[in-house]
Amino acid sequence: MARNKDDSGLRASGSAAWRRVADWLRPLAALLVMGVVLSFASPHFLTPNNLASVAVQASAVAILAVAETMVIIGGHIDLSVGSVLALCGVAAAMIMSRGAGIAVSCMAALILGLAAGALSGVLIAFGRMPSFIVTLGMMGIARGAALIITAGVNVFGLPSRFATFSVARWAAIPLPALLAAAVAAIAHGVLTRTSLGRYIYAIGGNAEAARLSGIPVQRVVTALFGISGLLAALSGLALTSRLSIGQPTAGVGYELDAIAAAVIGGASLMGGQGTVPGTLIGAAIMGVLRNGCDLLRVPVFWQQVAIGVIIIGAVFLDQFRRRR
Amino acid sequence: MRAVCVAWLFLAVALISGCAGRPAGQKAATTSITIAVVPKAVAFDFWLSVKAGAEKAGKETGAAIIWRGPSDERDITGQIAMLENFINSRVDAMVMAACDSQALTPIVRKAREAKIPVITIDSGVDDPSVPFVATDNIKGARIAAQTLVKLIGGKGEVGLIPFVAGAATSTMREKGFKDELKKYPKVKLASVLYSESDAAKGMAVTENMLTSIPDLAGIFAANEPGAIGAARAIEQRGLAGKVKLVAFDAAGSEIDALKRGTIQALIVQNPFKMGYEGVRAAVKAVHGEKVPRYTDTGVAVVTKENLNTPEIKSLLGR
Repeated sequence: MARNKDDSGLRASGSAAWRRVADWLRPLAALLVMGVVLSFASPHFLTPNNLASVAVQASAVAILAVAETMVIIGGHIDLSVGSVLALCGVAAAMIMSRGAGIAVSCMAALILGLAAGALSGVLIAFGRMPSFIVTLGMMGIARGAALIITAGVNVFGLPSRFATFSVARWAAIPLPALLAAAVAAIAHGVLTRTSLGRYIYAIGGNAEAARLSGIPVQRVVTALFGISGLLAALSGLALTSRLSIGQPTAGVGYELDAIAAAVIGGASLMGGQGTVPGTLIGAAIMGVLRNGCDLLRVPVFWQQVAIGVIIIGAVFLDQFRRRR
Repeated sequence: MRAVCVAWLFLAVALISGCAGRPAGQKAATTSITIAVVPKAVAFDFWLSVKAGAEKAGKETGAAIIWRGPSDERDITGQIAMLENFINSRVDAMVMAACDSQALTPIVRKAREAKIPVITIDSGVDDPSVPFVATDNIKGARIAAQTLVKLIGGKGEVGLIPFVAGAATSTMREKGFKDELKKYPKVKLASVLYSESDAAKGMAVTENMLTSIPDLAGIFAANEPGAIGAARAIEQRGLAGKVKLVAFDAAGSEIDALKRGTIQALIVQNPFKMGYEGVRAAVKAVHGEKVPRYTDTGVAVVTKENLNTPEIKSLLGR
């Protein structure tokens, strides 16, 4: 793997930082072009209500995508986020519907997500197993567990106060979107301004070199998957609040949407590369595309083709640029 | 090395205990018949009612019921594999709801070649000679269309939310609804968006529908996840009661929305009867008796007004 030394992230040189910004300027340009085209094509696109809807619709996947970005930068992959989302969502819903407080239920769900993620992390880092396999297993375990504890039935009858979170707004911005933005801001801060962040880039760039230079690779990888599980739980809570039911079949396929958002935003599945702002733009591109197709009444099958083309196109342009 | 030894030990124990269990199982097999019941998905109230019906028929006829299905109704290959395994393990009969009407046809033929009778329930296969126990979905969707037209006062724009394109049930409900609407020239079908049987996607497409058609008069959601998503989107926009919502099925969360006044009418199938009649037909087929090609299990229109009448209560199993 021929890799530019500056991309390793160990050296926070000015040019590397600028390159990372440039990485997400391209998808941003694509998003803006889409926005302009849709504004002309549909009178309903550029309205405050519709933009708020898109933001909320994209927020669940956006939170997962932030988690996935961190894992991907670290050179791994997490296929379990969609299932962990469902498990934590129904767990919170069940605890809540049995009369426990909202805060307690949410806390329990977050701990469950953190534990599921950390378990995968330990197996990957200390058990020396590929993340693809471990999280594939966890994907089945978490989905199965969600179906087992609910007996396959949606959990309803949640306190209305919990459901109001997803409707509430702060200065015209819906709270789920703000939550996603806050998660992204923290993750961005961790990746760019802390030693943990630099370790993650270094491990993704070259795990062996990172280990030799004294980075606690195993602990960092465990932490990465713990964070991923925690964020999946958070996303599950947001989704449960939005639907006001706990759905054991929620989030099927969301892990692939999250990976796609990260890749469109410039993350490399080889590790060592990717940014949170880029991923947010990737998630926004997918959200806007789906919304735009619905507004323009584009047949649903073409939506899937369009998203596929965008994923491949984004990676192609990236490769082309690198080769030059 | 040690880990490998432990693994072998486990395997050996599993094999021995499996063998030890065998004679008892064989004895049971000579006295009763075993019927595999394979739904399209194991989640959702609908399939659990099918299961309850199948188990009741099993108890009455003395047949052992094996209940197994994919966890997601889009998992067509998973369902095919399950049926293959049941054929190989020589169950006496299979009762199944096809995830896809075409893709499951070859495996159903294979079962019949192996002399294992197959009864399809809810969603059939593309072979009219296979007995089919189901709701007449086209008729049910026609009734949904009539109900929605009445609710919106005979004119306006309406939206349709089917679930998975290509699934027989979804396609038939789409067709029945569209066909019936043609009888009402003042009612226009303005948007058709799929929920993919995911409540969150159902909610997103409903929001987009409400955004792009500001004076939408009504929506027909063709199954439970779509209905939950649509109800939630309508509530969040403060349009409950203004945008009329008619939905298929009667999950707890749908009945909840009916009571709240977000859903005006539910088109309720009889999944319990599907499971029940399906297993009874399978037992008949095993004994070499003739089974009718088609059994309609019927639909009922459930509203807030008739929700507590005895016949609706018994249909909903409450």
